[in-house]
Amino acid sequence: MSASRLLFDEPGPRARRRIRIATVLAVVAALALVGLALRQFADNGQLAAERWRPYGTWPMWRYLLEGLRSTLAAAAVSIAISAAAGVALALGRLSPSRWLRLPCAAYVEIVRTVPALLLVYIVLFALPRYGLDLPLFWKLVVPLSVSNAAAFAEIFRAGIRSVERGQLEAGLALGLTRGRAMRLVVLPQAARRVLPSLVSQSAGLLKDTSLGYVVSFAELLYSGKVLANYNHLLIQTYLVVALVYLVINATLSKVARTLEARQRTRPSRAVADAVPAAQPTT
Amino acid sequence: MVRTPATRWATAAAAAALALAGLTACSSDDGGSAVPGGGPAGGKEDLAAAAPVAASLPAGSTMEKIKKRGELIVGGSLDAPLLSQQNPATKQVEGLDADFGRLLAKYIIGKPNVKIVNSASETREALLSNGTVDVVFQTYSITPERAKQVAFAGPYYSSGLVIATKKGETGIATPADLKGKTVIAGANTPAIPAIKKAAPDAKIVTFGSDPECVQALKQGRGQAYVQDEALLLATAKQDPTIQIQGKPFTSDPYGIGLKHGDAQMKTFVNDWLKQIQASGLWAKTWKNSIGTVVQGEAPQPPALGSAPGSE
Amino acid sequence: MNVITDHLPEFGSGLLLTVELTLLSLAGALVAGIVVAAMRVSPVGVLRAAGMAYVETLQNIPLLVWLVLAVFGLPEIGVKAGLFTTAVVVISLYQGAYTAEAVRSGINAVPAGQGEAARALGLTFTQSLRLVILPQALRTVVQPLGNIAIMTLMNTALAAAVGVVELTAAANRVNLAEAQPIWIFVAAGLAYMALSGVVGLATGTLERKLAILR
Repeated sequence: MSASRLLFDEPGPRARRRIRIATVLAVVAALALVGLALRQFADNGQLAAERWRPYGTWPMWRYLLEGLRSTLAAAAVSIAISAAAGVALALGRLSPSRWLRLPCAAYVEIVRTVPALLLVYIVLFALPRYGLDLPLFWKLVVPLSVSNAAAFAEIFRAGIRSVERGQLEAGLALGLTRGRAMRLVVLPQAARRVLPSLVSQSAGLLKDTSLGYVVSFAELLYSGKVLANYNHLLIQTYLVVALVYLVINATLSKVARTLEARQRTRPSRAVADAVPAAQPTT
Repeated sequence: MVRTPATRWATAAAAAALALAGLTACSSDDGGSAVPGGGPAGGKEDLAAAAPVAASLPAGSTMEKIKKRGELIVGGSLDAPLLSQQNPATKQVEGLDADFGRLLAKYIIGKPNVKIVNSASETREALLSNGTVDVVFQTYSITPERAKQVAFAGPYYSSGLVIATKKGETGIATPADLKGKTVIAGANTPAIPAIKKAAPDAKIVTFGSDPECVQALKQGRGQAYVQDEALLLATAKQDPTIQIQGKPFTSDPYGIGLKHGDAQMKTFVNDWLKQIQASGLWAKTWKNSIGTVVQGEAPQPPALGSAPGSE
Repeated sequence: MNVITDHLPEFGSGLLLTVELTLLSLAGALVAGIVVAAMRVSPVGVLRAAGMAYVETLQNIPLLVWLVLAVFGLPEIGVKAGLFTTAVVVISLYQGAYTAEAVRSGINAVPAGQGEAARALGLTFTQSLRLVILPQALRTVVQPLGNIAIMTLMNTALAAAVGVVELTAAANRVNLAEAQPIWIFVAAGLAYMALSGVVGLATGTLERKLAILR
């Protein structure tokens, strides 16, 4: 139950009537504005049927969906690399050794404050001059992974720190080494707790793959660029591309919300999982 | 959270980043960076059918290696209409550069089998020198600076930058008229230095692709748009609200990029160019792409070796 | 290193534009975020739905796509604005969605008793939100808002793709002319780090000043 509900009384009959009237007026005003915009849009010829017909045909969609497949592939590989690097960096940053802690902290703090586009430019323009010319796929995936590893590291670090100290100590008391206690006891619980953040960071990374537009890796947005070059339908193409992104990401964020809700309703889950032998879970 | 001045850690982080980059570079998966471009040419005519095939290839040459592989790997674009543009319906890459690529493949291999590696213009020298691609067909202007890093066969085509404006614009006819104007150009294209040279105080606005630049011109985000003549001809033909002002004000001889120092292949490719120019195939190829928007007969191809850097 | 000093004016104007973009977008994002967060906790169903739709739509399409759509699409529906203005508005609205979520979590973190007390005093919804809830909510989300500020700074780089010559675009142009990418991009990176450092310091100071100890 969110506190926000307590900010107002259930509206009475008069308030309800006022709200209804205001709602109708606002909706009418909004519709009028949209109508006006659409008329301008049509006046500029952007609604003409022949400008939209290509997007009713299969080859155009096939091309975009292939772009989407590359988007998903680039996102999946980047997520895998940056999540793995993120765990390593988080562990390094929490390690008792200075020699691990400082470089990991430095990496996170530096990379967090450099735009991904700048990293893309470095991979695109600077590295080839020193003989390192990656295939296009990696020109997109490497900078995205480098930059998202820092974000993942911070998420994992927060998760690890949220696990009660007693868990690690209990592990050590059982005779596990520090590494094993981390891996077997702390990390599983931490990962579970930060799952919603991991999913939303992944959704953000999926959006970042649109930088393929700069790299000319044929992901969704770049495919849109090639299409627009071919059919000269700039606005229509980018509207369709935006729609595809919206559908994919809305699905992902729904997953994140579901995970979050499930976690809220089962707070004991994490603890229960740490001792699976004693208490079988569903 | 401690936020420390980052400079003294920069080296460590850079090393870490490079290590990561190096690790991932080892994998050879280049998903999506290459598109199949084999089969008959995408235009109206099957140019490759009548195209010549080399009588013999020197033993141990690059060409022999390409023939053994069965495929010519071309550095090119997917989004350059009339030159090298992917047709989304057929996935074929169409245009002058793409056609020449296929013809060269036929000459070497006997079949027009090419694989186009989509390359950004800044990386072409690196792609050639590390052997990722065999040749580059990508509006690759021959310059003496570039010739220090790559070998150029050709020039096979000569183009230049022109100025386009909205229809009815009267104040802009020559590059000097760009003075003090806002000029639109494609990001990372040769138009940027050319505008700077012609009109140093012009304000340059860049966008990512040709349709974006055209849209920006139509929406009044700049008074002029400077782009390669072939591209603008296509645009002006298709869009009556755009007008080309005057003649090209630069001369860009396009060369076929080859690995630096491969004199054998350079001679071989130049011989091929000579052959197709003499047989009229060159003109047919031009008709098949740029000739679809430009009236009249094919122009005289530039003389081989005529551009500084291609000797 | 003299590529940097030779092109100091370009870097300087790029840096200035980045700072302007960031500050204006942040201000816009804060306004948009507070308005949308208020909509999402309001008694009016349509407002709640609109607020939700706003956040979902803005967050689920990449900023780069929004920028390209706005720059080329808005003139077609009769809205003609300069590139810089368009970029500021788009980044504001985009970051506004994230700000709204942060502010809403802040509102949810304010103890329920505060809202009940405000209502018991006879304050209306707007009054209790403005006078009681928001001041407390905003204090608790200084750190998340600081992160959004850094994210905004990072995202202003995307304006380079639609013709705004901010720091990243300036660096790219200098590199086109000079072809010394490492120095040029490292210099740009250091400038971004310095700017983020300033944001971080400001956030830290604000948080210490505003923290409510419970």
